[in-house]
Amino acid sequence: MTSRRVPLLPLLSSLLLPAAVAMVFFYAPTERTMGVVQKIFYFHLSLAAVAFLSFFVACVAGVLYLVRRERRWDAWGAAGVEVGVVFTTLVLVTGSLWGRPIWNTWWTWDPRLTTSLILWFIYTACLILRSAVENETRRATYAAVMAIAGFVDVPVVFLSARLFRSIHPTVIRSDSVGLEPAMIVTLVVCMAAMLVFWAALVRLRYGLHLQEAVVGDLERRLGES
Amino acid sequence: MSRAWFLYRKDLRIELRKKESGASMTFFGALVLVILNVAQGPGRRLTPETAAGVLWVAVIFSAVLGLGRVFARERENGCISALLVSPASPGTVFAAKACVNLTLMILSQAVLVPVFFVLFGTGLTGGPLALVPSLLLVDAGFSAAGTLLSAVSAGTRRNEVLLPILLFPLILPLVALAVKATGSALAGRALAERLPLLEPLAAFGLIYAAAGYLLFPFVVREG
Amino acid sequence: MAAGAGEPFLTVEGLRKTYGGTEALRGVSFTLDEGEFLCLFGPNGAGKSTLLKILATLLRPTLGTVRIRGFDLEDDPEAFRARLGLVSHQSFLYDDLTARENLEFYAGLYGVTDPAGRAEELLRQVDLYDRRDSPVGAFSRGMQQRLTIARALVNDPDLLLLDEPYTGLDEHAASLLRDRLGALHDRRRTIVMVTHNLRRGIESATRLGILSRGRLVFLSHRDEVDAEGFEDTYFRCMEAP
Repeated sequence: MTSRRVPLLPLLSSLLLPAAVAMVFFYAPTERTMGVVQKIFYFHLSLAAVAFLSFFVACVAGVLYLVRRERRWDAWGAAGVEVGVVFTTLVLVTGSLWGRPIWNTWWTWDPRLTTSLILWFIYTACLILRSAVENETRRATYAAVMAIAGFVDVPVVFLSARLFRSIHPTVIRSDSVGLEPAMIVTLVVCMAAMLVFWAALVRLRYGLHLQEAVVGDLERRLGES
Repeated sequence: MSRAWFLYRKDLRIELRKKESGASMTFFGALVLVILNVAQGPGRRLTPETAAGVLWVAVIFSAVLGLGRVFARERENGCISALLVSPASPGTVFAAKACVNLTLMILSQAVLVPVFFVLFGTGLTGGPLALVPSLLLVDAGFSAAGTLLSAVSAGTRRNEVLLPILLFPLILPLVALAVKATGSALAGRALAERLPLLEPLAAFGLIYAAAGYLLFPFVVREG
Repeated sequence: MAAGAGEPFLTVEGLRKTYGGTEALRGVSFTLDEGEFLCLFGPNGAGKSTLLKILATLLRPTLGTVRIRGFDLEDDPEAFRARLGLVSHQSFLYDDLTARENLEFYAGLYGVTDPAGRAEELLRQVDLYDRRDSPVGAFSRGMQQRLTIARALVNDPDLLLLDEPYTGLDEHAASLLRDRLGALHDRRRTIVMVTHNLRRGIESATRLGILSRGRLVFLSHRDEVDAEGFEDTYFRCMEAP
């Protein structure tokens, strides 16, 4: 179960993340109207992308758990939801920090903000649900159902949020990218760094969940004899 | 089909006899409306959008109260196991339960909507009938998602607390759409204008009817 | 359920069930012919309830198969359930409905052609006809137990599963249960009962089995063992570490 091999993903992300930070501050040009505040955008967008990826992972893991009934899929799902909630929290925080000087408000009911906030609520509820169920099989089943039920809500959330007035900048459109080449390079590096960091976190949490389950088994066996 | 009918009739019979869910839903909903009316202060008129918000707060808070009860009944004396070993499929049980919840919501709203118009009606152009399409669509989506999640919460130790925590985030977009649709209905606008708002409501209902039908068996089975 | 040629009524093969890290069943196999009455004994935690839940399709086995007349249970569980009866620790009754309404509901669920008639017949069989219109919540424990037995028979099952049916049963209910089981047995219905109660088990069963730590350690026909010898075997199994 435990491997003594080199922790490749954490090591890689410990190199990539500082590099991405350095690029954001020393390589990417400062935006003309927004100034230095704009630099938060590189992290904001990367965080949002991987946060959404976590929920997707949780949903797929949920489906696989219900079909296969194997403990590891529950562990993947749990890791996905946990990391997703943390990253969504960061998305909301970085968005607010940017919105305050630029929009002159911490919060506005914009589609993307609303979607992120609702997702945060759905998956935090998922975590609360996990803590409320003792029985392992039952907890895994309920968590899988909730992760799937939450993910199928995403289209409706986005559809409904679109009906609200939007002031969120659309940086990446289908026809063109509203960024300078140096900014694009920085963004790509930032996203890659965040993706590796995310994968490292999910992998660690996954391992931890599996170990917790094994410890639970051992405790039960001790209690029996 | 006839099995679903027997399940539905059984629940409704218990409901009519004990008046547990329906009555408390209606009573609590009316209470919320009065509280909001008091909070609003005397003599003030609400814009149609705000009034719509008031109505929906009362509707969803009262509905979540009844939902938990309808499923918790099956856990008492282990009746859910008896249903699972019967030839009725879990999907059928889900459909019957969702219909019971839908019926209860409609019945309680038949009282709540008139109460709402008495308390908040002055200055609203649209009448109760204009609200029917959005109410029915939300009720359908709410009972589909609510039935699935009440089965989940009934299997945990914190049934009553957990249901709103699980359900409200999912139905948040539904409520947002409903408030808009109801607001424009109360302002007296034509149904055709509200159609773009009603379509996602219907989509939500369909998504959760399908998700509930597929996921419910996993929730009620032991493993 | 159509009869498959040459197949035993019930075939259980290599049944395993793992919860988390613990194995509740570690490979249980046996066959039963139509009309047999199997009584399974065993200490707590031996896997008796798990086995019964798998037979009732409430649990899925981790490994192994259950076949009814040669047909795999997983293939058509609904047809199987239609001919199945289950008595468990719980009553499966709705407290807010009357005795008659409870039985009529379950009869309707099983697609019985005349639910009202069937309910009346069963109520008479378990001596509850006079109380048919009282809500079950107001019943005494003994009355609820009688109604629980009637409920399990609502579809006149081909296979009846009973999980500790004699626990906490009063004298009236116990003798009634014995009569009902005898009547089913006479009509060549198959019965699987799990119990602690050695005397009750031995007096009615045609097959006796002992389950210990997830394994079927003993299985024999009733006429091949004497009651005392069986009791000795049972207590040895109970003491075994």
